[in-house]
Amino acid sequence: MRVLHLKTSQTKLFDIGISFIAGLFFTFIVLVLITLMTTTSLHELYRQMRSSVVISAVWISIETSIAVVLLSFIFGFPVAYLLALKQFKGKPFLETLIDLPIVMPPLVSGLALLILFGGTGLLGKLLNKWGLNIIFTKKGILIAQLFVASPFFIKTVREAIASIPQNLLAASATLGASPFYTFRKVILPLSKSAIWAGLTMTWARALGEFGATAMVAGCIPQQTETMTIAIYMGAMSGELATASALALILVVFSFVSLLVFKSGLKR
Amino acid sequence: MSIFLEDITKYFGSQKVLDKLSLKIKKGEFHVILGPSGEGKSTLLSIIAGLLKPDKGNIWIDGQLVNELPPQKRQIGFVFQDFALFPHLTVFENVAYGLKARGVKNNKLKERICFYLNMVGLDMYRDKYPPELSGGQKQRVALARALAINPRLLLLDEPLSHIDAWQQEKLREDLKQIQQNTGVTTIYVTHDQLEARVLADRVSILHQGRIEQVEPPEELFYQPKTGFVANFIGATNILDGYVSKMNDNNVKFKIKDSDLTITVKKYPIFQDKRQIRLCLHPEKIILSLRPEKENHFLGVVEDIKLLGITARVNVNIRGLKIKAIVPRKHISSITRQTSVWVCFSSDVPHPLCGRCHRLPPHLRRCNQCRENKQKSVEL
Ligand SMILES: Nc1ncnc2c1ncn2[C@@H]1O[C@H](COP(=O)(O)OP(=O)(O)O)[C@@H](O)[C@H]1O
Ligand SMILES: [Mg+2]
Repeated sequence: MRVLHLKTSQTKLFDIGISFIAGLFFTFIVLVLITLMTTTSLHELYRQMRSSVVISAVWISIETSIAVVLLSFIFGFPVAYLLALKQFKGKPFLETLIDLPIVMPPLVSGLALLILFGGTGLLGKLLNKWGLNIIFTKKGILIAQLFVASPFFIKTVREAIASIPQNLLAASATLGASPFYTFRKVILPLSKSAIWAGLTMTWARALGEFGATAMVAGCIPQQTETMTIAIYMGAMSGELATASALALILVVFSFVSLLVFKSGLKR
Repeated sequence: MSIFLEDITKYFGSQKVLDKLSLKIKKGEFHVILGPSGEGKSTLLSIIAGLLKPDKGNIWIDGQLVNELPPQKRQIGFVFQDFALFPHLTVFENVAYGLKARGVKNNKLKERICFYLNMVGLDMYRDKYPPELSGGQKQRVALARALAINPRLLLLDEPLSHIDAWQQEKLREDLKQIQQNTGVTTIYVTHDQLEARVLADRVSILHQGRIEQVEPPEELFYQPKTGFVANFIGATNILDGYVSKMNDNNVKFKIKDSDLTITVKKYPIFQDKRQIRLCLHPEKIILSLRPEKENHFLGVVEDIKLLGITARVNVNIRGLKIKAIVPRKHISSITRQTSVWVCFSSDVPHPLCGRCHRLPPHLRRCNQCRENKQKSVEL
């Protein structure tokens, strides 16, 4: 990047002002982190990390959020492709539909999913016939997180595919490439970084999901209790030590993963 | 005949971009379609390549109707205006793209790609990525990539418009050379008449969604047949007037809004009192200090502009403004405000008789002549 050197007293004053405000904001974030770290002693943290409640919550969270990332990719990519490249009637409507899970309160999404997949719900009845029960199971966690988190992936990838110059796709076609060949050799490589970014966001959103998950999967310890739910339950039942330990693990885990993702993106 | 475009019509919404456009292009021909920006040149190429569907009309390649063929199956090489190189692939991989998509592999692939990279002079750059190349180099990659699929037809969309001026001449020459060596039928669209003059076997002029005139460059640029073509190629001396006297071999032509009468070779469409427009090509005018030729008029030089080895001189002949393009060495004694004889022989002015060629031969009567006929009846 090019750095311009325009040092005047005015720009200096401006820089100081900007830095001051930014500094305030960073202080705010760091304070939150410090609070988390100081409510738990290292010894307590170690003890908590061996408790079966904490281990199972961490494990359930990791398991479900990774599964949601995979499902988002499988179902989200075709949606993103369609919205980015095809022109059809009702497209703006579908685009708004994709935005909806992002703006809807998770509790509302959760309620709707609960009804839909419940014993009397449209899909619930159908799935029950096949012996599949979604509500208050890990599958419920997946459904809830997928609904809330996958739009982040779809939106990011849709933007990336739409920004590929049309001429590249046209050139590929005139050179004799089938749509699938073009997809593999042009669209996929050129949206690679957007795919990573989208998956990261989806993963982070799934990991932090609370409202919808709690509605659909309930809060059954060591069965459907994700980290966020365990934190909530801990805090509400006065087990602050468990709650803060989990919170700290969650934050450190997210922070490290984001760092890894970011450095992976740059390469 | 290799390419036949038949009555191609294309709308964008309510805007009619191509209007029953018809054009035949011979096998091996280097055909340049010349037209101002926004006239539908890129649209036409996209239709030929199958990237856009025409609303009406047929596209024939080697006698085969290809309307329903998708672009993948047309085997047409397309060089896009912005190159459209794949930024994540090396030069080699870009050129190899079409063959790889067809399943050509290993040694055979390598051999053919090296052949085409050599042809465009880029064998040294095979492992570079497009963002590392200059405009001219990108253009060469795009050309090699299009040629590597051994196309039945090569389409080039203003390939020199994004290239630095100093690279253009070399690229033009190489392009012509490569086209001649490969013998591939080529359609090249541009708004630049210099490119058309240098490259084309034949030039067609696109205007209002139709081909206005098709001819080899030496004829098109010296015998424009319509007012639009004349203006577009810079032959802007367009004389309105009427035939005032018919002789055996020539006619007298009275110029409107002026007291000048000129002598013009007799053309079949001339009739006594008929209104008509003539084009007096600026490059066919002689400026002299003595009267010469059948037509010579004394005028005053209003402006001189030097254009390399030629000069453009604007002369005012008793209110009639005439533009002449003459060799620079002929005007050493001429400056602004000097008097000079504007001279041209009687076979220089030619009638602008409309869009005759657009109609099938048996209907060829020129619109303008018909309109003028009605006018002269009214007179
Ligand atoms: N995809 C499109 N949608 C709507 N209008 C278009 C589209 N492509 C081109 N046009 C219009 O068609 C006309 C011809 O465009 P184009 O073929 O690009 O001209 P040229 O290549 O001769 O400059 C222009 O007026 C342009 O605005
Ligand atoms: Mg164009």
